[in-house]
Amino acid sequence: MSDISSEALAAGRGEQNGKVQTSHHPKTDPKQDEKKGYYGIPPIKRAHWTWQIPVYFWLGGITAGVALFTAVSKLVGKEDPAVTRLGRYFAVVSMILSPVLLIWDLGRPERFLNMMRIWKLRSPMSNQSWSLVAYGNVSGILMLKQAAEDGLLGRGGIARLVARLVPHRVLQVLALPLALFIGSNTGTLLSATSVPIWARNWMLMGPTFLASGVSTGLSFISLVLNLLRTGRKDTHHTLQRAEKVMLLVESGLIAASLARMSRWGKPLVTGKIGALFVGGTLIGGIAAPLALLSGKETRNKSMLTSVLVLLGGLAFRFAVVLAGRKSADDPQAYFSFTRGENAPQPGDKI
Amino acid sequence: MATGFLTDTTVCIGCKACEVACKQWNQLPADGYNLTGASYDNTGHLSGTTWRHVAFIENPKKQRRLSGDVDLIALAEDVTETLPGNAELDGLGRWNFMSDVCKHCVEAPCQQACPTGAIIRNEFDNVYIQPDVCNGCGYCVPACPYGVITQVPNDGRAFKCTLCYDRQRDGLEPACAKACPTNSIMFGDVEDLKVIAAERVATLHAKGYDNAFVYGTPEVGGTGGIGGNHSKFILMDDPETYNLPRHPFMPQVKVKGAFVASSIAAAALTAVVALAFRD
Repeated sequence: MSDISSEALAAGRGEQNGKVQTSHHPKTDPKQDEKKGYYGIPPIKRAHWTWQIPVYFWLGGITAGVALFTAVSKLVGKEDPAVTRLGRYFAVVSMILSPVLLIWDLGRPERFLNMMRIWKLRSPMSNQSWSLVAYGNVSGILMLKQAAEDGLLGRGGIARLVARLVPHRVLQVLALPLALFIGSNTGTLLSATSVPIWARNWMLMGPTFLASGVSTGLSFISLVLNLLRTGRKDTHHTLQRAEKVMLLVESGLIAASLARMSRWGKPLVTGKIGALFVGGTLIGGIAAPLALLSGKETRNKSMLTSVLVLLGGLAFRFAVVLAGRKSADDPQAYFSFTRGENAPQPGDKI
Repeated sequence: MATGFLTDTTVCIGCKACEVACKQWNQLPADGYNLTGASYDNTGHLSGTTWRHVAFIENPKKQRRLSGDVDLIALAEDVTETLPGNAELDGLGRWNFMSDVCKHCVEAPCQQACPTGAIIRNEFDNVYIQPDVCNGCGYCVPACPYGVITQVPNDGRAFKCTLCYDRQRDGLEPACAKACPTNSIMFGDVEDLKVIAAERVATLHAKGYDNAFVYGTPEVGGTGGIGGNHSKFILMDDPETYNLPRHPFMPQVKVKGAFVASSIAAAALTAVVALAFRD
């Protein structure tokens, strides 16, 4: 075969640069080797969670913060009756709302009690259910005492009996670790999945969610006390001081988390989720409140700060949950995560 | 005795009989007439209503060359011989078919995640969801490192391959293995299947297919605390090509570590709040 005819043949076949380009031989994608996968179909399935779950995470965080401040004020002997009252009533409200949100999210809500069939220490979801039951019961008893003291149970013998018999000191101490566990476990629950952005940051998910939760809890107490125009002056001052430090701790933990997530943390800082996270949490929920807290303390400023911190915490939870969805849908993120030594391994120390 | 699958992708012809047999035996609903438009695979992936899925992988070679007079008949008849007219085989590339299924992990992440105890290991050592216990929390779904277990929207519960628990109890092999015309899907004792897999891979290597390997061992595909899979595969390409992770991990291995880290953080934050009370 002569050169000319072979060239003509090549042209007839649509050959360019030695590559066949017909309908049966689609163009070679130069990135073929980097873009491994199967038609871009996600190799793992994302969680179905809708808005109830991030809202619950937010509520659980506030609960932890409120319980922490209430218990510590008692432990250091600077108890403010207004804070104690708020803390005891709010714990019960939260422990009613949280299960409602969680049961709402179930595929078979009528079977919610199946969560109580077993207790599995390795399942954060199981631990979460049991800690809600435990904390719900403890806070229920504590609320009874508060209700008796406030005269909501009447002036009869039962009210006096409840007020006297409830071992509130023991229960308050018992309640604190439970509430702190609920607050941190919201983060751990996300990290114990195959989703790269969550699993990568397994060590700091719990602490970050807890720090954010405590900051929102402090803001919640501050906001309610301001709205009701109650609480001692030194309580307000303490709340502001604690909030300032807590926001700094939170921003430190978020920075460390982003560093740890490295390339798999991209969904959290890009696109619409990035706007929510950077604008809502970093700027609106941390930087702006810190700026507001640095000046003179006024009621209006304090209330604005509290609202910003609370909204920032909510934005944080939505951003993290939505980023997980995006991370699970990205085949390249999962494949690169499971290729080398990036994923958590049983032998890992840190 | 632990039972499992060995799916030999090298002899799979992509007939989808396993998909159909699985749907029929387990009475799984249709997934709708969704056309992917990109391949002959219109199923796409495993789901709560699809427990066997045949992947159609078009595996082109990097160098796309058809030179000389290509005798397509000769090409089709015997691909290992030197082709007439100095035609290069590379030009055509290769079809890969792979019938995907639940991996039935030795240590199953979905079972670890399940808060109701609905996911159990049955007497055949298969990972089985008790449909009367599952309350549809969906936590097993992101826990699965292979994207197998999925909630069915209208039902609410999570479903996946049962390894035909009902048929096994009656001494029958699973529907997919029964239907497979090329014996690409083999069912049996996991220990026996391991031997068969090793022999088959050795045969393939002897024939010059050096890239054949077993997926689902503690080295590849059953890693990171999962301890291997009871559903193994013989693959001829990177696991990622089949949408499988190379080194999946048990997501729950760090729950204890996370608890310790959180406890330290909780103590530190308590101290921070206590310090704020100073005059």
